[in-house]
Amino acid sequence: MLELSAIWKPETQQQLFRALLNAMARPGSRESNVIPADGEAIGLPVLAVLVDAAVTLADPHQLLRKSDWSLLQAAEKSADTADYIFCDGNRAPEFSPKLGTLTGPEQSATLIVSVSGLNSVTTRLKLKGPGIAESTTLVIDGLDPAWIHAREDWVCEFPLGVDLILVSETQLAAIPRTTNVEVL
Amino acid sequence: MVERSQWCSALQALPEEQILSLAKEMLSVWQVRPKVIPQAGLGMLKLHDSALCEPFYLGEFPLASAWIEVETADGTLAEGAAQIMSARTELAEALALCDAVLAARLPGWQQVAELLAAGVAIRARIATERKRILSSTQVDFSLLDDVGGEDA
Repeated sequence: MLELSAIWKPETQQQLFRALLNAMARPGSRESNVIPADGEAIGLPVLAVLVDAAVTLADPHQLLRKSDWSLLQAAEKSADTADYIFCDGNRAPEFSPKLGTLTGPEQSATLIVSVSGLNSVTTRLKLKGPGIAESTTLVIDGLDPAWIHAREDWVCEFPLGVDLILVSETQLAAIPRTTNVEVL
Repeated sequence: MVERSQWCSALQALPEEQILSLAKEMLSVWQVRPKVIPQAGLGMLKLHDSALCEPFYLGEFPLASAWIEVETADGTLAEGAAQIMSARTELAEALALCDAVLAARLPGWQQVAELLAAGVAIRARIATERKRILSSTQVDFSLLDDVGGEDA
């Protein structure tokens, strides 16, 4: 009866969840199943899939509107303690996300970083690791170089670390903690 | 006027179609936005047993909820919500809309008030009927006292 935006509908969310699984399994691959958020924050469709009342969310760059919070239902926490962190890739990270513990590496944060594009080149990354045959190249527009340096620190003690999901208006790519990243 | 907490329950005493058609009329003229995603699922009721006070679940029941915001043509904003034992989110949304209309006295609230009064009357009739059945099956155990000594 009520008209909900497509990003909140189960069929859209199932497609996007599939895209997220592919992206995590094939680091650096670009998935195109992101529905453009109609006037909403880039990355909100991904949050709509991953987040609910059972997890916590941080929005250090104030990208979400008040109405988004009530639809997501997640409790707000600081970026240092949240399960999910939603950030603007153009701005350098100024927080230390939780990295999990040796007995519970899954208790780490997942970062959803909105970027300008995943086709045009501002930053070129060479990725190696599980899910990648030899190596692959990921080009990103709108990612502050400080993100790559910060990520190196966060994932240096495997299995501790964070998983990055880069989201543009129409595409997404993932860089899990197992991936080795080199700036070209 | 019935307390707001009783509105949903009273309106649910009416045929669903009546509520849904009224809500449909209102939806066509106003902007209605969900505050949270309307959901339907199963609820679980936790009770404690009387012997050891250990918790147990008394089974599952259907549960639907909705929380909406209404904006009328003149820009008036109102909020309404409903949580009902049903698997239909549509009905929860319609009841949430009725809740908002009645609480904020939005145009057409009299129609909802009439439905509410009808629902209250149905519930009162059912309550009276249940009371009558209960009283007709009541057992007076005090009569056993008169014959209590015969078994000994």
